[in-house]
Amino acid sequence: MEGNRAPRVGARLLVVLGATLGLAALVAGFVLGFALQFPPTLTATAAQTGPGVTIHLETVAAVSEAIAFPRPDDPHPDWVSYLPTTMLKVPANSTVTIVIDQEDGASGLRNPFWSKARGIVGGTFHMSYFDDNGDPQEGDFSALDDASTLGHSFAIPDLGVFVPLLGISDAAPAGSKNVITFSFQTGKPGIYRWQCFVPCGAGSIYGNGNAMQTLGYMGGYLIVQ
Amino acid sequence: MLSVIGVVIAMQVQLPPGDQSRQAGDESSILQLMLIISTPVFIGVCLFVVYSALVFRQGRTGLVDGPPSYGNFRLQVAWIAITAVIVLFLAAIGITQLGSSAQATNFTAAQLATAGSTPVGTSAGHELQVQVIAQQWYFTYRYADYGGAESLHLVLPVDSNIEIHVTSTDVLHSFWAYQLGVKADANPGVDNVFYVTTMHTGSFTVRCAELCGIWHGNMFDTSGKVVSQDDFATWIAQLQTDEADVTLPPYAPAYFPSPRVKGS
Repeated sequence: MEGNRAPRVGARLLVVLGATLGLAALVAGFVLGFALQFPPTLTATAAQTGPGVTIHLETVAAVSEAIAFPRPDDPHPDWVSYLPTTMLKVPANSTVTIVIDQEDGASGLRNPFWSKARGIVGGTFHMSYFDDNGDPQEGDFSALDDASTLGHSFAIPDLGVFVPLLGISDAAPAGSKNVITFSFQTGKPGIYRWQCFVPCGAGSIYGNGNAMQTLGYMGGYLIVQ
Repeated sequence: MLSVIGVVIAMQVQLPPGDQSRQAGDESSILQLMLIISTPVFIGVCLFVVYSALVFRQGRTGLVDGPPSYGNFRLQVAWIAITAVIVLFLAAIGITQLGSSAQATNFTAAQLATAGSTPVGTSAGHELQVQVIAQQWYFTYRYADYGGAESLHLVLPVDSNIEIHVTSTDVLHSFWAYQLGVKADANPGVDNVFYVTTMHTGSFTVRCAELCGIWHGNMFDTSGKVVSQDDFATWIAQLQTDEADVTLPPYAPAYFPSPRVKGS
């Protein structure tokens, strides 16, 4: 060949380096974006009556229908969710009282075993709710008779805490809620997962998809410290 | 000489999963047998590598072709035969052990619909039936012989033949009771039967061994227990009392979820 040119090693190296850096930046951005999308943490406040601390939560059929804790910029406004967040911080060795505004209808359990409350103080939860006729009722319960009436459940398996949440009656006035109150005891510090046992992920097969599989919706961590 | 020392050491090693059940003990002894058989092979290979590196290394002289080599019929027959015997022997004992502790039954949705409260199989009289129900994300246990009572933790009596029926209510899980030597697929609509013969009291860990969703990594329970016959009788009576207020479906070989998309 006439005028045999030296291969432009420098230029090629620059291209390869640039492409590698670009790819690394993309991957790092994706991983960081995923990691930083962690739901915010809610710290329990001192209980107004009685000992220990309290946490107020809301369960909704869709994030966009929230009453107490709206989350306007949520990427999934049509998912079921616990609100305002599912990262809960509570003190160790203390009594934690959870108050839940349950606004979602019934989905029902696949395993009726979870319709009984376990691991809570006194063995019962207090509930104000609407009966089949839409009339307001109130009482203390240790279990729900019919596993198909559950809207959600609140469970911290490693603490042995399992609480069924009655779905709002079809006859209840629009915008009403069942209010469920229960307490449990925390022990040593640690991070415990909590979740819902009702397959409530509407739109997914078996109801076990989307919200059930995502932190910040139907599951999170109880941070005991 | 080295092989003899190696085999003696291999015979002293305590291998997992231990001997809490006969099946776990069998697994440990098979692992030990394999270790004992493979130790001389491993030492032989290592010695030959060292020998070759020392004897056949390139000297100061230039690179020369070695003498041509031809097949050695007796050597070839010998190594194929010895290898075949070892491999077939290990395969045979492995398959025998596996077959003695496992059998699976598949049910169609129609069979399940008519199964009702009929217990699985016929009562053999001496076997305790325990059903493992996997769900996202917890294992629960039903005791068919005690009114189908369901428990959060697996408790078994010692010196008993346990018939374990593994099923799932949603996705694929896998029931892994490590110290009992059981790892069984938990599939919806399938009744996967395994046998465990408990030998010693103590606690064991249950884990899910099939990626099953966001809390798969948390799907474990360290409070499984093998207890004395008396303690088991007390415990199961207490369980039946405690759980009297829960209405469970009739005991069935599997709880087949009709595949559906919720909210559609």
